[in-house]
Amino acid sequence: MSHKSSSVMVVGAGIAGIQAALDLAEMGLQVHLIEESASIGGRMPQLDKTFPTNDCSMCILAPKMSECARHPNIKIYIKSNISALEGEPGDFTVKVLQAAKYVDPVKCVACGICESKCPVKVDDEFDMGLRKRGAISRYFLQSIPSEYTIDPEKCLKLTKGVCGICEKVCPAQAINYQDTDQEISLKVGAVILATGIDAFDPIGFGHFGYKSYKNVVTSLEFERMLSASGPLGGHVVRAYDHKEPQSIAFIQCVGSRDESIDHNYCSSACCMFAIKEAMIAREHIKGLKASIFYMDIRAYGKDFDKYYEKAKFQYEVEFIKSKVAEISETDDGSLTLKYVLENGDIHYSDYDLVVLSIGLQPRANIVKLAQKLDIKLNEYGFCRSNAFTPLQTTREGIYVCGALNGPKDIPESVTTASGAVADAVKYLKLERQEITEDKDAEPEKDVKGERPRVGAFVCHCGINIAGVVDVKAVAESARNLPNVEHAEDLMYACSQDCMNTIKERIKEHNLNRIIVAACTPRTHEPLFRQTIAEAGLNPYLFEMANIRDQCSWAHMNEPELATQKAKDLVRMGIAKARKLTPLQRLPIDINPQALIIGGGLAGMTAAQSLAEAGFMTYLLEKEAELGGNMRNIFFNFGNDPQKLLAEKIEYVTNHELIEVHTNVDIENIDGFVGNYKTVIIDKDTKQKQEIEHGIVIVATGADEHVTTEYLYGESSRIVTQVEFEKMLHDQDFPKPKLKNVVMIQCVGSREEGKMYCSRVCCTKAVKNALNLKKKFPNVNIYIAYRDIRTYGFREKYYTELRDQGAMFVHYTPENKPQVTLADEWDPGSKVSVTVFDPIMDKEVVVDADLLVLATAIDARKENIDLAKMLKISLNTDGMFLEAHVKLRPVDFATEGVFVAGLAHNPKDMDESITQAKAAASRAMTYLNKKSVLAEGTITEVNESRCSGCGFCEEICAYNAIKIDPEKEIAVVNEALCKGCGACVASCRCAALNLRGFSNEQLFSVFESLDLNDIIGGD
Amino acid sequence: MTKIPQRGALINSEKGLQNSLLTFLKKAAEKKLFDAIMLPMQVPSGDSFAWILIKDMQLLDEATPIAPIMPVNAAKAVKRLTRKGEGSSKIAVLIKPCEVRACVELAKLNQIRTEDIIILSYDCLGALPMQDYIKDPVWGKQEFSAILESKNWNSQFVKPVCKICDKFSLSASDLHFGIIDEQLLAIANSEKGETLLAGMDMKADQELENWKQYIRKIRTKRLASKAETFEVIKTKVAGFANLLDTFSECIGCHNCQSACPICYCRQCYFDSAVSKPNSDVVLMRAEQRGGVSLPLDKIMFHTGRMAHMSLSCISCGLCSDACPVNIPVAKIFSYVASETQKTFEYTAGESFGDALPMKEYKPEELGELGKLVQNAEIQEGGHE
Repeated sequence: MSHKSSSVMVVGAGIAGIQAALDLAEMGLQVHLIEESASIGGRMPQLDKTFPTNDCSMCILAPKMSECARHPNIKIYIKSNISALEGEPGDFTVKVLQAAKYVDPVKCVACGICESKCPVKVDDEFDMGLRKRGAISRYFLQSIPSEYTIDPEKCLKLTKGVCGICEKVCPAQAINYQDTDQEISLKVGAVILATGIDAFDPIGFGHFGYKSYKNVVTSLEFERMLSASGPLGGHVVRAYDHKEPQSIAFIQCVGSRDESIDHNYCSSACCMFAIKEAMIAREHIKGLKASIFYMDIRAYGKDFDKYYEKAKFQYEVEFIKSKVAEISETDDGSLTLKYVLENGDIHYSDYDLVVLSIGLQPRANIVKLAQKLDIKLNEYGFCRSNAFTPLQTTREGIYVCGALNGPKDIPESVTTASGAVADAVKYLKLERQEITEDKDAEPEKDVKGERPRVGAFVCHCGINIAGVVDVKAVAESARNLPNVEHAEDLMYACSQDCMNTIKERIKEHNLNRIIVAACTPRTHEPLFRQTIAEAGLNPYLFEMANIRDQCSWAHMNEPELATQKAKDLVRMGIAKARKLTPLQRLPIDINPQALIIGGGLAGMTAAQSLAEAGFMTYLLEKEAELGGNMRNIFFNFGNDPQKLLAEKIEYVTNHELIEVHTNVDIENIDGFVGNYKTVIIDKDTKQKQEIEHGIVIVATGADEHVTTEYLYGESSRIVTQVEFEKMLHDQDFPKPKLKNVVMIQCVGSREEGKMYCSRVCCTKAVKNALNLKKKFPNVNIYIAYRDIRTYGFREKYYTELRDQGAMFVHYTPENKPQVTLADEWDPGSKVSVTVFDPIMDKEVVVDADLLVLATAIDARKENIDLAKMLKISLNTDGMFLEAHVKLRPVDFATEGVFVAGLAHNPKDMDESITQAKAAASRAMTYLNKKSVLAEGTITEVNESRCSGCGFCEEICAYNAIKIDPEKEIAVVNEALCKGCGACVASCRCAALNLRGFSNEQLFSVFESLDLNDIIGGD
Repeated sequence: MTKIPQRGALINSEKGLQNSLLTFLKKAAEKKLFDAIMLPMQVPSGDSFAWILIKDMQLLDEATPIAPIMPVNAAKAVKRLTRKGEGSSKIAVLIKPCEVRACVELAKLNQIRTEDIIILSYDCLGALPMQDYIKDPVWGKQEFSAILESKNWNSQFVKPVCKICDKFSLSASDLHFGIIDEQLLAIANSEKGETLLAGMDMKADQELENWKQYIRKIRTKRLASKAETFEVIKTKVAGFANLLDTFSECIGCHNCQSACPICYCRQCYFDSAVSKPNSDVVLMRAEQRGGVSLPLDKIMFHTGRMAHMSLSCISCGLCSDACPVNIPVAKIFSYVASETQKTFEYTAGESFGDALPMKEYKPEELGELGKLVQNAEIQEGGHE
């Protein structure tokens, strides 16, 4: 490779673009982040909650947005578009057109006076037109950057030369009507595209009455209606009469799975989206009737089926398998749905509100972008990529992530983003990074000996907190407490302008301890710590009070008590803040070698990415041969899995930076991020070897479920889909010629105790059935299914198979197909399958020459031992549990350990490849650093008090504290300690102290309470 | 649950309990079944007893295997003996069942090593309160001999906790001496115990059913009076006002903590400077409440100590013995301990194999908390 650059461009700053930018920046690369709108963030800020955890979308995104904004290696260009790209991979020149903002970003203080005085009122795009905005506005309250911009098409001054009010009222003199568009030229080594998708516009769907019936809304509009920060403040009312709806219908697949509009694909996320909205709506409105009209519920992601079950049984959401034919409006604005059930019966039902679950479609401007970049689009107009190179566009050096090349949910978008980074690194110059001081940050101020000067900031979080808690009163109560020099309420404390305010106040009032009363420290503490660090304070001189979860959420119906409690929490926080002392974070050296456990597709792909980037990689495989489950896959819609497998094996076995160990077990893994030691043992020779490495990627795969259902094992004519695929490959079928083939889906999946979807089986059945049809065009294929989950572009094959005459029979778990053998003594007996067909409304019996069972993907039993060694978690199904199901899909909570492939959850080959690359990329963010910083809040041992009882050692989940055999007292490994405090609580001798949570600090918190009678009350 | 062996060996006990035990020990010493033995011996002044580690077996003649009082819980002595590293000798210790229990707890806390010791125990008739004994040692010795002689399981003179003790028999010792009327049984309860018995050429050929019934009968009575006593104590400490009342006489000497075998900390948190607030805090408290009693932390000390040790409390009663102002500390702690241990389905000192409750987490172990967790899961739909 001739060219490499240390700069890279990411186009589109939604969650995918943000993740890609952060990964690249953490590797020390200079990132140009190009965003078309006026803020980074993309779709996520518009969402209320996210499935399947119901995390608040903005709450989990905001820290990432801020991290992006303040990262010294990331430069954000808003209102910008690519106008041209020239050059070679490794040496591209990109021309970027920055639209005029008409507001000087340096001068603007985001006070909002301009917008309040602007005479123009237009529909606000962010709130889906449910609210009006001015011609000068900011995209949303927590926009990053936070400055206002002028919409030149709507502004009276710019269109007609009149008005000019904003210029007059702007206290910062930031308005500049003379601003012009500017084209800049940037040199980068690679480009990552993350421009996302559009939502389907249902306005053409006349029979659903969108825009003509007031109470028909899209799922995105409904999301804004649900959102506490949305235009309705989370109080769902109908636009028609401002009354709370008592019944809501959700109609699925509006603009998806629809050949009539050339959308012969599934939008993948809408089923879960609707389930989530139905559940949240039921939380908002007591006794609400929520019905979802669907064809198939595609809850195929991790823990999605559990969520679906919860909606059905706990939240009593009604699911109606049907096709909605028509909607008509009644006199009171309610809506009558005409729908057809499976058996052809036509029903009518009335609903107060109808939500159209609109699908996803390519961005309107994607064709132009493709032309400028010279990349190709696929048959649906999405960016084209291949299943085996899922992150590559058709042009070398340009990569794709997020929903740009096909519908995706949030974690998949994040995974593809990290994955694309691993690919792009090929054309980028990686140099191992030292810990760098932030150049812009103030040097740390020594506060020793200074009297505490506390600054208290109380956050409204829009109406999320202020809707219940009297935020101003809370700030007022703080102002009068001892040592409080400044108290203030802020609209969104985590927004960029508010964080700037905090920094200014620190200067202004010479503050040396800061407390923010807002949401949870779990998501926001790092952000505020960094903010005060930028203002020259040690980041540990910070305290947080969670008045959102603990006050406005927990006591939403008792605003006065909630306010009182918020005051108490703030007083307690201030009491602790007074006692805070600066803490230091120790550097931990990083060994730049990687260990990958598992030599299947995911493991080998990750190894390839790491080796390509120049990192020594050890690849472990317990079997004698590499390949894992992929050895049993022979077809992939035109791609050849066995060819890919051979190439991968060839690559990893011959690359000088990859050391492959097959036929080995792991005896022990010891250490922590940057400094692991793993002992492997050859299964035959019992020879041991120790490997030193800095990170671990877990790619241990999964097992095929061994079933005893449907007489499996009783006849050679009853096989699994995996066995059937081999049969197709070997062209070795039971004789005589096959006439009837029956497939049963969900064997061992989606059942009590194993409530998850194995994800790949529907597509696999369709794939194998199509192959069979190719060989025997006249064979009759019957597929007994619960929901066909051919998500994304896989839908095409499902349509194709139906067109070829395959019969799909829907069964329910209460009414499973019955299987009997024609001749019980014959080991090759034909099989008779009886199943109730709801379409014909009767039982059908098929004499099958072959019965193919889609058996589940099971978690490996060995996961339990590995999880213990690495101190990582498993979910209830025994699959490895990532750090955050939405935003950290390949990381573990344990630093330096990552997951890829089936070990994480069932997934298809393209998804395993993507996740493997993502894991490699996440790993590189560590490997490319010479050292990282340990936690500051860690346990310290008072040696003179320790009795060496070892209680702490036994309960520490991180193996971070041990009894020194010589001294017989506890010793803390500062790199491993996560500061959870379990050991401190367990220590009867009070020999342990958690820095930042010392006894003294905690006692002063108790002292500050009025409950003094209990504590030390004599 | 204690698993009791099926059989034991009969010991000649014609010469009384004390002498029979001494005879047994001397014989074992002669056969070199241990290198040293620790047991109580009267102090030269004659008015108390101390734990003596005997190497010269001649001294056994002067020992009192079952002392009338319990000045120090033997577990504390055993701790000093074994805490620092493995020795090379085998040491026998003859101690009371509550002391065995304390040893078990301390072993779990790495304060005692059991590799080198052989624990011998016996069915305990109780001990006299320290203060009663010291007032009149002559009476004490006579009274205690009478209790032993007559096997009086209902003596009014033993310590209050002994009167309600239901764990006075075999638990985790290696060799236990069972008492039934005029008989004395040697019951091996571990490999070490079996080796010892075998070394003595004694055969475990006695069925233990009669003895078990005898012990069970006493236990039933004790459990009843324990329940009664706890009912009374409960009313004395329920609620903060009552608790304050009960401990109002406390002079803050912390003797209870010094005497407690379970309080193994090198320095009690409440004796350390860390626990002492600055004078401005004291003044603030005084301001908030109009006045504050000094020194601080009377109740905090007792409740704090309780929180630290109640899961391991073995109700030996030494705290009460040590209290100069006669607060019924032992009864209170014993009551609270019985409740906390019940919560965790744990019995302190029962066996070396049971893990300390705080070291194990079972989601279902706290009924109430369990319900909370379930509710939280249901509401997970809510936020975050």
